[in-house]
Amino acid sequence: MTALRTPPPPLPVRDKAVTRALSPMLTRLAEERATGVLLREHGTLYLAEGRVVHAESAFAPGLDVLLTAHGTLAGAAWQRAVADTPGPLQAAELLLDLGRLPAGALELCHLDALYDAGYFALAPSSSPGRFRYDNTPRLGPLPSVPVVALERETLRRRLLLHRLWPDPATDSAPLVRAEQRSASPVTPRQRAVLDRVDGVRTAAGIARNLGRQAFHTLVDVRRLAAAGHVVPAAQVFAHPAPPPPPPVTDPDIALLKRLRDALEAL
Amino acid sequence: MANTETALKEALTSIEGATGVALVDYTSGMALGTMGGSKTFDLNVAAAGNTDVIRAKMRTMEMLGLKGDIEDVLITLSDQYHLIRLLKSRGGNGLFLYLVLDAARANLAMARHQLKRIEAELEV
Repeated sequence: MTALRTPPPPLPVRDKAVTRALSPMLTRLAEERATGVLLREHGTLYLAEGRVVHAESAFAPGLDVLLTAHGTLAGAAWQRAVADTPGPLQAAELLLDLGRLPAGALELCHLDALYDAGYFALAPSSSPGRFRYDNTPRLGPLPSVPVVALERETLRRRLLLHRLWPDPATDSAPLVRAEQRSASPVTPRQRAVLDRVDGVRTAAGIARNLGRQAFHTLVDVRRLAAAGHVVPAAQVFAHPAPPPPPPVTDPDIALLKRLRDALEAL
Repeated sequence: MANTETALKEALTSIEGATGVALVDYTSGMALGTMGGSKTFDLNVAAAGNTDVIRAKMRTMEMLGLKGDIEDVLITLSDQYHLIRLLKSRGGNGLFLYLVLDAARANLAMARHQLKRIEAELEV
C-alpha cells in the first residue's frame, strides 16, 4: 500500500524582502544605474549612475549648517558661493576649487550630511516615493556612496537607536525636561543638548540650533531619555486608532488566534 | 590639506606594520573611510565596536571629574596593537583614527608619532 502524501499547505510568512530592502524602488534604481532625484516623504536622494551623491531632509541640517556652525567656513563665504552656483553641492565644489576649504574637512562634512539626511529620507513613509529622471546630479569630486552602503548604514543606525532606548517618541516630539531630576551624569555634548530642551524644540530643532547632525542628536536625546533626563512632551494630537485587523476566514488561523487570546488571558 | 583617502593611504603605507586604518565618527559608530583590513578583520565592525571603548573612557573621566582630553588609546593584543587617536577637529564632530598594527613589525612610538602627523595633515 502506498501512502498518498499531500504536501502541507504553506504557512503564512512575512515577506522578508520588505525588511531587507528599505526601498525596493531605490534598489531597482541602483541596479539600473539611474540618474535623477528620488523624492520620499521625509527626504530627497540625488542619484548619479545609481550612486547617491547628495541627500536632503527637512529633519537634518544641511551641508551649509555643518560647514559654518563650527568655524570650518565663514558664513559669508558660503553665501557668496551659493549665490554663484545652482545648488549646495556645486557651491561646495566651487569653494574647494578656490581653495577656501580643506578637501578633508569638506569630504567629511559632505559624508556626514549625506548619511544624516539619507537616514531620514529612508525612514518608513506613508506615501510611495517618486523618481524623476534628471541629468543634473553627477559624480563630482566629492565622494558618492553606493545605495547598499547607505541602506546598510541606515539600518545599523535604526538598530543603534533601538538599543539605546526602544521608545522612538523622543525622535520627533517636542522635548521637555523630566520633572524628577535624574542623578546620572551628563557628558558635555549631552549637556549642550539638554540646555536646549525647552518644551518647544524637537530633536531636529536642537540639532540645527547646535549645528550638529540630526542623527547624533537623536542618539544624545535617546541616551538622555534612557537616563531619565528628558521626556517627550504630551502629544497634542491624538494618535489615529489603528485599523481593525482583517477578518479571519481560515479556520486554522482562527483557532490559533483564539488559543493565543486564551493564553494571553490566563 | 590631504583628503581622507590620501590620509588613510598614507597611514597604511608609511606606518611600519600597519594592516588597517579607519576614520570613525564616534557618535554614530560609522566608518567614514577605511583602508586595509581583511576578510577576517572587518574594519567597519571594529569601528562600531571601538566607539564604545571611547564612550566608556569618556564617561569614566566625566565621573572622576577629570578635565583633560583623551589624546589616544592603546590596546595591546598578543599579536596586534590597536591605536585609537581622537581628532581635535574644528568641525567638532567627534572623529577618531583607528589603526591596526602587527605587533611583530610595528614600532609603537613611531606609529603614534606618525598618526599624530597624519591627523594634523587631514586638517579637519
